[in-house]
Amino acid sequence: MSNSFKIAVSSTDLSALKSRIESATFPDELDDAGWAYGVPLTDMKRLVARWRDGFDWRQEELKLNNELPQFTQDIEVDGFGSLNVHYVHKKSDRGAGIPLLFVHGWPGSFLESRKIIPLLTKGSGDSQCPVFDVVAISLPGFGFSEAPKKKGFSLSQYVEVSHKLMIALGYTEYVTQGGDLGSRVTAGIARRYGGMHSKAWHTNVLFSMPPENDDPSSYTASEKEGLARWQEFQRSGSGYFQLHSTKPQTLGYSLADSPVGLLAWIYEKLVSWSDNYPWTDDEVLTWVSIYWFSRAGPAASIRFYYEVAHSGQALGTKSSPPTIPMGCSLFPKELIRIPKSWYPGVGDVVFEAEHDKGGHFAAHEQPELLVGDLRKMFGKVARHFLRDVYSSLSVSSFTFFYCLQAKNDGV
Amino acid sequence: MSSYKIDIPPTALSTLKSRLENAVFPDELEDSGWAYGAPLADIKRLVARWRDGFDWRHEEQKLNAELPQFTRDIEVDGFGTLNIHYVHKKSERGLGIPLLFVHGWPGSFLESRKIVPLLTAGSGDARLPVFDVVALSLPGFGFSEGPKKTGFSFTQYAEVSHKLMLALGYTEYVTQGGDWGASITKEIARRYGGEHSKAWHINLILAGPPATQDPSSYTAIEKDGLARFQEYKRSGNGYYRIQATKPQTLGYSLADSPVGLLAWIYEKLVIWTDAYPWTDDEVLTWVSIYWFSRAGPAASLRIYYEVEHAGQEVGSTNFHIPTIPLGFSHFPKELGRIPKSWYHLVGNVVFEVEHDSGGHFAAHEKPELLVGDLQKMFGKSGPAFGVVLGRNGYDG
Repeated sequence: MSNSFKIAVSSTDLSALKSRIESATFPDELDDAGWAYGVPLTDMKRLVARWRDGFDWRQEELKLNNELPQFTQDIEVDGFGSLNVHYVHKKSDRGAGIPLLFVHGWPGSFLESRKIIPLLTKGSGDSQCPVFDVVAISLPGFGFSEAPKKKGFSLSQYVEVSHKLMIALGYTEYVTQGGDLGSRVTAGIARRYGGMHSKAWHTNVLFSMPPENDDPSSYTASEKEGLARWQEFQRSGSGYFQLHSTKPQTLGYSLADSPVGLLAWIYEKLVSWSDNYPWTDDEVLTWVSIYWFSRAGPAASIRFYYEVAHSGQALGTKSSPPTIPMGCSLFPKELIRIPKSWYPGVGDVVFEAEHDKGGHFAAHEQPELLVGDLRKMFGKVARHFLRDVYSSLSVSSFTFFYCLQAKNDGV
Repeated sequence: MSSYKIDIPPTALSTLKSRLENAVFPDELEDSGWAYGAPLADIKRLVARWRDGFDWRHEEQKLNAELPQFTRDIEVDGFGTLNIHYVHKKSERGLGIPLLFVHGWPGSFLESRKIVPLLTAGSGDARLPVFDVVALSLPGFGFSEGPKKTGFSFTQYAEVSHKLMLALGYTEYVTQGGDWGASITKEIARRYGGEHSKAWHINLILAGPPATQDPSSYTAIEKDGLARFQEYKRSGNGYYRIQATKPQTLGYSLADSPVGLLAWIYEKLVIWTDAYPWTDDEVLTWVSIYWFSRAGPAASLRIYYEVEHAGQEVGSTNFHIPTIPLGFSHFPKELGRIPKSWYHLVGNVVFEVEHDSGGHFAAHEKPELLVGDLQKMFGKSGPAFGVVLGRNGYDG
């Protein structure tokens, strides 16, 4: 049973935050450190000053509530009881939209769906262009979703809760889009519920292990560069990952007690993982405020890494790839890019688009590009996987027909 | 040189209290124990004590009474003058062997507290050598100034330590180090060994692996030591990776949240020791030194970054091996250890002792054992007896 939800941070919480920021204590910084040691002091001081005076959370909250229709509902997760899950749900403006589940990662949130939702639900004006019903979940422990109370809530559980949400919303068949941890969750959905429920999946982060007969000499320049970026990420940019995966509670005390500490922790990724995205201070602060005001608190979100690392599902663990159609969008500043020869380990790639700009937060940095890809893919894929089922029928607008079919199935 | 007494300003004390009063805690998963990090119950209890009950002034007074402290300016090539804080206690009898004690992270000069009286005591067995002890606060730690520029690594830590000993009139000396102190004293042994540093003793031995290994030759203890180090790298070095790559990002948290800093350090104090019965006030004194440190808690993290970027990370074998006599003390709960067959990568081992209790903070956990080892190593029948000309730890 879904309940309408509006973000409404209490005034006590707002004034407590202001008070914490007012008493902020800053470290010093080495001369000419730049970004090498982490977030520069001038950026932090400027952002904190804005957060303290000027940044208007109420206004941001209002805008979010106006733009994104939000709900909560209880979802039962095996072994974990009932979790109250927060999500955005916007239906397409015309026809029966393709049900699309958008899954964020860390340090993302449902907020990352903000720019793509209007594009996905409205369409381009061209009747051939598919439209979507979008569901953007707040993963348990993130945003305004409840967090699990017990240990062991790992990929399987994130997969289960996401799938069950779609079913609860009446979407027995759906497609998914995910980046960062969302890519792993949607891969899990594709594996477990692929075919019967998840019909196709799209991601902007591909990862798999090299195949047995891998031939590095065959890699293109782009592919070599992509692997080199991944090596560099592991060498100098994955400290957060190691820490989240091993001692999230120890770090959590800092993130829960210091908004400045939380801001630095997240802002560093927003900048270093995006492709010269022109973040405004208020944009950053809105993003970080969602973590500060999150229902479960900022320490809860990082447990995802620990659980995955300890459940035998760590990145690189061999598992059979999903078989449903898969699409990927490659953005040049993504953290990792694997050679095409590794794709079979990821899934059945039927759609691939490569861009010359954009980074890790694709939906936020390049919404038009990402949506463009989804429109192409799901227009194409709908035909691809519908072909077997409707081979004898002529389809004038295959997408429209798909949507009709979905409607007839009681979605 | 100036005499120094720790005297934290009242405003700093009241600011801390105010921060603690407004502390916001995260939740915790049920039955998580220590698996995810420091447990909530521990941190809440420590914070409550830090806020009400823990008496910093009293601890400060005790420290000042026990440890004669000083500061002096030391010039470091390329970094200008740094004002260095240190403990300096001379032996109570005879000619003490000048011993430089070098701490690590999250340690401090405080780690010398229990060994200083034992090393300098005149009332003990006259067959045992005595020492003049110098325990410096590394730049960026305790009450020493931190460097302002990038690139302050082993070379510079070794240089400032060595110059301090020279400034104190000790042209020849010996060293003891654990954690970063082990690496820094190794650098001292490399650069100043022979002429100035005459022998060195460490309780953390990590280097290698050598080009050729024969794992089948390892003893059970050696295999266990290597396994412990592998486990540390698998599950216990997240702090190392973040400090070695983004110390500034982490620094904002540690500078702004005493609770965050407490958790960050306390976790190591517990998991790196061998069931050491920390009292809350002991922990809080240790962490307060970081909170009240001259350079702030963020500065102390930078050593990891600098070492990583100077190609001098722990275990690297890029430099020549010191030749002066080296002593090891092995404590079972240290983070790891290397097989005997790798010792040639570290130095010229003349003395080695195995203990059956104790962990990473040896000087704090097992002061009698560590001091006993130093007394044996440098005593009349020890392998490093008389290395310092004219100061052999006995009368005349």
